Amino acid sequence: MTVSTVESARTWFSAQKIAGYGVAAVAAVFVLYPVYFLLQAAFDVGDPQVRPPTAYGLDNFSGLFQFPQILLNTLNVSLAATVMALVFGFVMAWILARTNVPGRRLFEQLMAVPYYLTPLLGALAWSLLGSPESGFINQIWRALGGHDHLIDINTGYGIAWVMALFEGSVAFVMIAAVMKSMDPSLEEASQVIGASRLRTMLRITLPLVVPGVLGAAIFVFAEMLGSFAVALVLGLPNRYYVVTTAIYQLVQQYPPKIQTAAAMGVSLFAVMFVMLFLYRRIVMAGSYVTITGKAFRPRVADVGPLRYVLLGVCVFYVFVAVALPLATLLYASVQKIAVAFPTAGNWTLDNFRTAMSMNAVRSALGNSLLLGFGTATIGVVLMGLLAWLIYRSRLPASGVMEYVVMFPQAVPRLVFAFGMMWAWVVFPIPIYGTLWLLLIAYITVFLPLGVRTIAGVMLQIDKSLEECAQMCGASWAFRVRTVTVPLLVPGLVAAWLLLFIASVRELGASILLMGPHSKVITPSIVESWFGTSSELTATLALIQTLVVAIAMIVLVAVTRRVGAQPVD
Amino acid sequence: MQVSQPMGPASSAPTPHIEVHGLELYYGSVPAVRGVSFNVLPGEQLTLLGPSGCGKSTTLRAIAGLEKPTSGEIRIDGVPMYSSAHQINIPAEKRRLSMVFQSYAIWPHMTVFDNVAYGLRVRRAGAPEIKEKVGHALSLVQMSEFAGRRASQLSGGQQQRVALARAFVFSPSVLLFDEPLSNLDAKLRADMRIELRDLQHRLGITSVYVTHDLEEALAMSDRIAVMRDGVIEQTGTPDEIYRLPRSAFVADFVGSANLIRGRLRTDLAVNDLIALETSAGHVVYCMAYGRPVGAELVVSVRTVHLTISSDRPAGTQNVWSARIGKTVFQGDFTQVHVGWGDQHLIARCAAMEPIAVGQEVYITVDPKRVVLLDA
Amino acid sequence: MAGIKNRNVTRRTLLKIGGAISAAPFVGFPAPGVLAQGQTKSPTKVLDFMTNADVAKAEQEGQLVFYCHENEPGTAGIVEGFHKDFPKINTSYVRAQTGALYNKILSERSAGRFDVDVIQLSDLAPAVDFQKKGGYEQYVSPESPAYKAEHLSSPVGSFFWTGVDPAGIAYNKAKVTPSEAPKTWQDILNPRWKGVISCKISASGLQFVQWYALRKLYGPGFWKEFAKQNPHAFDSRVQLFDRLAKGDDKITAIGEYPAYILFKEKGANVEFVAPPDGLVATPLIVGAVSKAPHPEAAKLFVDWAMSKRGQAWYQTNPNLYYGSVRTDAPPMPTGVRLSEFKLLYPADWDDYANQRDVFSKEWNGMLGL
Repeated sequence: MTVSTVESARTWFSAQKIAGYGVAAVAAVFVLYPVYFLLQAAFDVGDPQVRPPTAYGLDNFSGLFQFPQILLNTLNVSLAATVMALVFGFVMAWILARTNVPGRRLFEQLMAVPYYLTPLLGALAWSLLGSPESGFINQIWRALGGHDHLIDINTGYGIAWVMALFEGSVAFVMIAAVMKSMDPSLEEASQVIGASRLRTMLRITLPLVVPGVLGAAIFVFAEMLGSFAVALVLGLPNRYYVVTTAIYQLVQQYPPKIQTAAAMGVSLFAVMFVMLFLYRRIVMAGSYVTITGKAFRPRVADVGPLRYVLLGVCVFYVFVAVALPLATLLYASVQKIAVAFPTAGNWTLDNFRTAMSMNAVRSALGNSLLLGFGTATIGVVLMGLLAWLIYRSRLPASGVMEYVVMFPQAVPRLVFAFGMMWAWVVFPIPIYGTLWLLLIAYITVFLPLGVRTIAGVMLQIDKSLEECAQMCGASWAFRVRTVTVPLLVPGLVAAWLLLFIASVRELGASILLMGPHSKVITPSIVESWFGTSSELTATLALIQTLVVAIAMIVLVAVTRRVGAQPVD
Repeated sequence: MQVSQPMGPASSAPTPHIEVHGLELYYGSVPAVRGVSFNVLPGEQLTLLGPSGCGKSTTLRAIAGLEKPTSGEIRIDGVPMYSSAHQINIPAEKRRLSMVFQSYAIWPHMTVFDNVAYGLRVRRAGAPEIKEKVGHALSLVQMSEFAGRRASQLSGGQQQRVALARAFVFSPSVLLFDEPLSNLDAKLRADMRIELRDLQHRLGITSVYVTHDLEEALAMSDRIAVMRDGVIEQTGTPDEIYRLPRSAFVADFVGSANLIRGRLRTDLAVNDLIALETSAGHVVYCMAYGRPVGAELVVSVRTVHLTISSDRPAGTQNVWSARIGKTVFQGDFTQVHVGWGDQHLIARCAAMEPIAVGQEVYITVDPKRVVLLDA
Repeated sequence: MAGIKNRNVTRRTLLKIGGAISAAPFVGFPAPGVLAQGQTKSPTKVLDFMTNADVAKAEQEGQLVFYCHENEPGTAGIVEGFHKDFPKINTSYVRAQTGALYNKILSERSAGRFDVDVIQLSDLAPAVDFQKKGGYEQYVSPESPAYKAEHLSSPVGSFFWTGVDPAGIAYNKAKVTPSEAPKTWQDILNPRWKGVISCKISASGLQFVQWYALRKLYGPGFWKEFAKQNPHAFDSRVQLFDRLAKGDDKITAIGEYPAYILFKEKGANVEFVAPPDGLVATPLIVGAVSKAPHPEAAKLFVDWAMSKRGQAWYQTNPNLYYGSVRTDAPPMPTGVRLSEFKLLYPADWDDYANQRDVFSKEWNGMLGL
């Protein structure tokens, strides 16, 4: 009996368990601690200035019913954006995965660029393009003899359009994955029987693809519900609020309506939670990771001369989503007052001079890059351990941890940051207002992204590779070091890059948690939009894009030399 | 180290190296292993044979420590590795076993040398010792010239050999094989089978081998345990299993067999033969081989033991007329279906004189080859 | 002008009463009547102005944290001026519109965080409130004599008026014909401006002043009519003029003179209108904050801001163009003196302060939240 107690004591304190429970505890605190404060604020019906709350109740929630327009706007915009994103995603996925359009690989890479360019940049550019009075497109329209304006980007559909272009690449990735995982012999069987290509597509392909597309639809819809940057830039001038911008407005205005904002935030996250729960049920049968089994080579159809038409479609999409916004910003940044047909005296480099001399900008850029490095590096280690804990270990915490880690997916960043604001301001260690707070915030909101990416790679590693190491006598720590981590390196690198980009482009959380010594670039661009000229803002956005692009190129080059291939 | 009492009477029989008692493993409420017991003697190869889903891999992995059983006991060299009664479950890396995986599990980021050396490095062996042992292991599997090659550049057969070398390089006392040859093509499989057998004998390692391939099991094993649905149906030497199956399942799984049912005819018993009468009125002579004799009997006749001839053969017992149903040419042999009374029999015949469908023929079988099955 | 005299009396009375009430518990500082330590030192000269701060110590502190209501370039401009004169003191700032800014500093202080050295607000009401709460450091600058009493806190030493931001109406000359052009405040209610007129958000101090002043002049129905115009509301005057210059709006109901000057320089086709009833104006209030992390730097800043040097900076920086109330200040870059404008301040600052919530509610309601 003594042997078994010693043995069981030793197993209790094994390195595995310590790492597993340690990382679980950290993640749980990061995620749940702010949520507690968010809920507390939502149910606080006492004096807003008094903390802790004096009275609890449901009044804040019933008070939401006086904002039906906001809910309607949110639904409209999210639905329209989802539909558009799905259409773009489906069409592009079809073209790039199923037809013999030339340059497929290049376009697949390019489809990710709008994500890297950030929806904020897209919103700024499209504001310059599509404002009813001053928008370039409308100015050109009027010069051509048109009446009034051709497009008005400051409407619900305008917002949805930009959201679909810039936040919709996730729809493309998901649908493309569905198409690639489809067994081509299923279609071949149909064609051999004599069905036409069209009939095959309608009767065989589409029904097979529909569940995956449905899953993508639900996921994208949930993302759109929580979207912030585009609605902020394009919606606020006309006071077109969606829930996220309404929360922002309520928090920023004077006097702030914190409790109403909290109630809105909680309601939004409840809806998103339900959506994502549905998504898991319908599509995933229990796991957020798409476990790809055999990867099929999908049948690539030869569409003959139609290829060039489809190529045109691809080029057009890339133009609209990437080239046009960048060109617009550049065009605006070199003018004193941005118009479509500038006079000779309107050209200037002053905007660049001002931007570069703005101390705040330089420090914001520096902070963003520093935070990017920190978030990616610490994040990869933390999330790697979490991915292992949830999907590979047999520790009892793993089931619960999956929910905890995926939780931030359901909460819009802004709402999360809101809870964090309260949570960390009372924390004894003074991290409030510092970069540390932003670091914690980023790691928390990116948990789903990082864990999902690493888990995806981790699950593709045949379990037997680790089991074999076990059978050779290797302890957990030894085999993690010699087998698991080396095999994970490509996935870890991909996750690192993703986290770096995500943290540099982050807006929703940063905008609430920035302090005087912890400015970061994306919210600074938004502040510039609201406080300086649009030309200067365009300049800042361009500088940010350039710096991030350079950083990315350097990083990718470095990792390529190390031998790892970044996976999308 | 807790030392256990030897099981059973103080034996003149050698102490088993591996003991499995009453092993049960449920996934939730779904049973994978429903009470399995067997012993493996030192140096012998026991094969767990059965169709997919019968629980053989699960049992093997339970011995390895990669699966946690629901109840039962597993002992290696008398030391409990798992015991539900005493709450013992020693982790896989501490059991000092070795395993060859179905997918080979060759680590792609290491060279062949590093793959094989891994177990020695875990055991903190010195560089010269590693060099010597790895070199030796690689030469045993004829992979010496691949030592510096990146492991991901090997073919299936080559990976298999490396996996093997890696498995025995640190001189384990037990080797577990989880369908190691099933991913190879037929010709390679046949060759590897023999090599594995030789190697195992040469090294004298106790092995537990899992496969669904009958030929493999018969060729390589000292003893076979036939499993179905989470239980062992029969354990015995290949010869015993083949010649004397206990159940209809084993009879048909280990080589193809015909099953014949009938009523016991005690009046027709002669010498050590017993007789049964089928519903069609045929009298079949068979041997009991120690199985219980009831009123209703089922006997098994291997397809290869049924002889077909157009002329009536000499002999009085087990000679019947039958009609050719269909023939299937199989190269080395021809499978012939005959109609016999109210059932069909299948005979496997080597190249023979041409026979036509519908032809009336005689079939016969040696009564010693007609085996009584357990109820 | 008569209204302004009344204002003095009521304000001083109000502040005296306020001073008698003890400071709010969470600040824990002596009541505003007590003289602070700096008083005992004799002023020293640094650059070309007098200061009671310990300059060496301030430079040792090496940092100044500035909370300000101005837009980003404006705030950056202010601290840039200070940093140029005192390169050893690094500056950092937080900017938010007055309402949000005040709210921020209050919640930080209630959570026990005291990270701010100097605060500038565009509204007198929160400044007085902050003074009541003991939020300001009691520091009498040697530059104070250059200011009239009505442009200083009462008692002296909490804050001062670093400038005045006057606003009239402005419009886009290309989009508005001379006959349509607005001339009086009433003209902003003309239905032809529906959907193409802008104003500021409720957190803005100046917007609050305009609301209060015009309400007093024309009655509460004025702003209810204005709500029908569906105005576009923004945080910063630069935004308002940006849109005006590009034609996104035809007219702005609150065209700040400093922004007008700036955009005119850029070549924008905008025009400024000073209605005969007067320009609405808000004082821009600067004061050193109590329990500051860098107290000497804070005092130095106050002296700098009050000095001729600092005021010149405020007046000539293109992102600021404030009108100075220093008695010996030169005219603004356009040659106009502040005193040449008819300025509409609230007659009764006390009543004004009490109307804050009414204003916020009505204004937010007009804007949708």
